Amino acid sequence: MKLIINGQEKELDCARISELLDALDLKMDVVAVELNKNIVHRENFENTKLKDNDKLEIVTAVGGG
Amino acid sequence: MNDDKLKIGKFELNSRLIIGTGKYENFDIMKKAHEASGAEVVTVAIRRVNFDDENENLLNFIDKEKFTILPNTAGCYTAEDAIRTARLARELGMPDWVKLEVIGDQKTLMPDNEETLKATRVLVKEGFTVLAYTNDDIIYAKKLEDAGATSVMPLGSPIGSGRGILNPSNIKIIIENAKVPIIVDAGVGTASDASIAMELGADGVLFNTGVALARDPIRMARAMKLAVECGRDAFLAGRIPKKLYASASSPIEGIIK
Repeated sequence: MKLIINGQEKELDCARISELLDALDLKMDVVAVELNKNIVHRENFENTKLKDNDKLEIVTAVGGG
Repeated sequence: MNDDKLKIGKFELNSRLIIGTGKYENFDIMKKAHEASGAEVVTVAIRRVNFDDENENLLNFIDKEKFTILPNTAGCYTAEDAIRTARLARELGMPDWVKLEVIGDQKTLMPDNEETLKATRVLVKEGFTVLAYTNDDIIYAKKLEDAGATSVMPLGSPIGSGRGILNPSNIKIIIENAKVPIIVDAGVGTASDASIAMELGADGVLFNTGVALARDPIRMARAMKLAVECGRDAFLAGRIPKKLYASASSPIEGIIK
């Protein structure tokens, strides 16, 4: 399945957001996720299904002023 | 006991200083500088996860018991992106407040006030406590307040420039006209800049580069802490008016002949 994650195309077979985060080795509590420009709440990571060509933004906090 | 608290909406703070998390040599120095500053609020930026970055997450170096995180929307050039960033920050488990920053130009990093105003209206409606970053424009400061910003944050000088408070008259007028807390944000290069902002009557000061890039960030953080307290005290004490001519401090009577 083709997913566009943070602007990069990735070929990953992950049915749900929680599986995707596991595959990317990301801890749930330090990221926030937008799926096709809609926020996905953390409690819905488990039950949000992914499909081909979905666009995701996965963000975290970094240093800033 | 401190009875001179800074109130920003539902947030009550003992320290009038807000400090950033960017540009430090490493997270350990950052952590020590944060502690030395006495700040209770630290700002962070929200960015795409970098899959190639092996470094530890910034959030592991902020003690949530001591510090409240204030996410910013730095780097956003449109109201839409700033709104998305604020929403994502909330999803990260941060409080529902935001330092709203919409930039209009890459070279000067000057704010785009029109977009900032648009984003303020939307985020206020969504329940965010908005701290709106703006330039030292008296009219826009008022417009942002009218749009529901809980605090307005005029710049002293451009972000990261360290040039201090370039237009103290405007900052003073913004403060006098405001019913919301005014926090001077950006341009604070050294302790005296922070003092001047506070002496003008600012409710608080926010800075990052001035501390992070100082030769000794931890010592500069402490200097900033003292400077903010000094400036606040001087403001509350009420400075004397400036006069053109001298006025003797010692009695003019009884001088020996």
